[in-house]
Amino acid sequence: MIHRLRGGGIPFIVAMVVLVVLPIAGMPRSWSLYFFLFFIYLAMANMWNLLAGYSGLISLCPPAFIGLAGYALVIGTWIGVPYYLGIIAGAIVAAAFALLISLPVFRLSGIYFSIGTLVIPEALRIAFFLWRPVGSQMQGGGAGYMVKGVTGVSVSWFYWLALVIGMASIFLMRLILRSTLGLGLASIRDNDRAAASCGIDVFRLKLYSFVISAFVTGIAGGIFYIYQGYIEPASAFNIKWTMIVMLATVIGGMSTEEGPIIGTAIVVFLHFLLAKYAGISLLIQGIILIGIMLLAPQGIVGVLRHNRAYRSFVQFIDAR
Amino acid sequence: MFLELFADLSTPIMMGILLGGLYALIALGLSLVFGVMKLINVAHGDLVLFSSYFAYAAMTTVGMDPVVSLVIGVPLLFAIGFAMQKYLLSRAFAISMEAPLIIAFGVSLILQNFQQIVWSPMSRGLTTSYTLASFGVGSIRVPLAYLLDFIAALVVMFFLREFLNRTYLGKAIHAASQDRRAAQLMGINTDRVYAFAFAISMATAALAGVFLGLTFPFTPQSGVSFLILAFGVVIIGGLGSMLGTFLGGMVLGLAQTLGGYFLGAAAQMLFAYAIVLFVLAVRPQGLFGR
Repeated sequence: MIHRLRGGGIPFIVAMVVLVVLPIAGMPRSWSLYFFLFFIYLAMANMWNLLAGYSGLISLCPPAFIGLAGYALVIGTWIGVPYYLGIIAGAIVAAAFALLISLPVFRLSGIYFSIGTLVIPEALRIAFFLWRPVGSQMQGGGAGYMVKGVTGVSVSWFYWLALVIGMASIFLMRLILRSTLGLGLASIRDNDRAAASCGIDVFRLKLYSFVISAFVTGIAGGIFYIYQGYIEPASAFNIKWTMIVMLATVIGGMSTEEGPIIGTAIVVFLHFLLAKYAGISLLIQGIILIGIMLLAPQGIVGVLRHNRAYRSFVQFIDAR
Repeated sequence: MFLELFADLSTPIMMGILLGGLYALIALGLSLVFGVMKLINVAHGDLVLFSSYFAYAAMTTVGMDPVVSLVIGVPLLFAIGFAMQKYLLSRAFAISMEAPLIIAFGVSLILQNFQQIVWSPMSRGLTTSYTLASFGVGSIRVPLAYLLDFIAALVVMFFLREFLNRTYLGKAIHAASQDRRAAQLMGINTDRVYAFAFAISMATAALAGVFLGLTFPFTPQSGVSFLILAFGVVIIGGLGSMLGTFLGGMVLGLAQTLGGYFLGAAAQMLFAYAIVLFVLAVRPQGLFGR
């Protein structure tokens, strides 16, 4: 197991150190915001790639995990749970929910799985419109909740939190893909019947990747909502989250490790480049999504892999 | 006591069945594409809304009645559907299973934001002299628009069913949906058949859009909620069966109005979605599917 993980260590550590000291070295505030969103989206996109690219599960329910984790965190701050525990609690809630819904949705395969997961965030959105666990009539429901009692947390802290989850998701992907779980998942994606007949427990492996994905997506969602400072059902359970992770993964290259990293960078760049024209920004992203899918189905990484300079660059990184 | 309960229930039951007509009308096109191409057309809701906005534009600029504007709206969406399948989706089908789904997502994103830019995020409605009218059945008052929805759904369902069972093109669509390779070997141009199936689905979406606009106000964001409703109908009714989809609409409409009656108006959709998830878990092929 360990020998498969060798390589790529030194560049990873160098990148990590550089990124950690950036805020101390006086990075502008706006830059920390770009990086913050980059790492949050990266963690989510990596987890979507784990499901769609490596397990054959086109999941349309990331908003459910993000919203649930966000709500667990925010409601936690109302009853006195410190926010760092709230992030973990939110992730556990998301993972537990994934476990709960796995029972019905894993009975469905392929296209039915996607529809099943499409309905879930919508149902949750309505449930959270009605549910008022804490606070008075002024809060909760459609109005949402403010994060309570998290003051004095600087922008740098949000940046570091996001950095940790973003980098952890890259490392986790590497770990999973080089483990027996990753090999099993790849065989399920390629042919689930053949995999089952080779003694692979299809249900269990899919469940593992689904729950892991929910957990990490939940952490990223929690960190996002401490930063945002409030949560309300319409945006928390919004299909826009699915769009972001899908866009990032597809543009970069699905079923590749480096795809989500490149794709997320492009999505965040477009997001801020076109921020002034909110509607047009999404319209352009839609056109890019279709264009990439038709012209380069393997994404940017797929195109780059035909390029000798890129291949030797990747080899160089992997050898260190 | 039982009779009293029934008298109380007669309004939600009546409304549920008629509302189910609208849901079925929205879902029929989705069900056709789903059954024939195994594609989740996530852009269906936005294409339905596009038709609503088209009728809205025709009404506000030229003063054309929404139902009359269908004379242009249906062929327009038919052409859009044909082009979409021929130039976008057919290429995507050659790439991978998930490529068409992702492309449909892209189309949905483009349409939603296009509509938002052109017609603003404000809530719009197709208000005509007859949309606010209502008629009485016994002690129940029923809005006329609901009845129109139901009749339109019934007519479209009947026509689609007869078309699929009796015409050559309909039979070809059936054949291509059962086994694409075999259909090709029998001399059916499956690419063309798929394009026609998608175009027909879009023509029903044009009808659904106008009747949706007559019944409810809509915003550019409504597409997603109507898409999910329509999927609920398809799931309950069963894959690709037109009669099943129609009955699925009734079940979902009744679930909503009866859920609203017993649990309060705020919880009505929650109850409807719970039924959808339940059916999906227990009987993925749908209540009326084979």
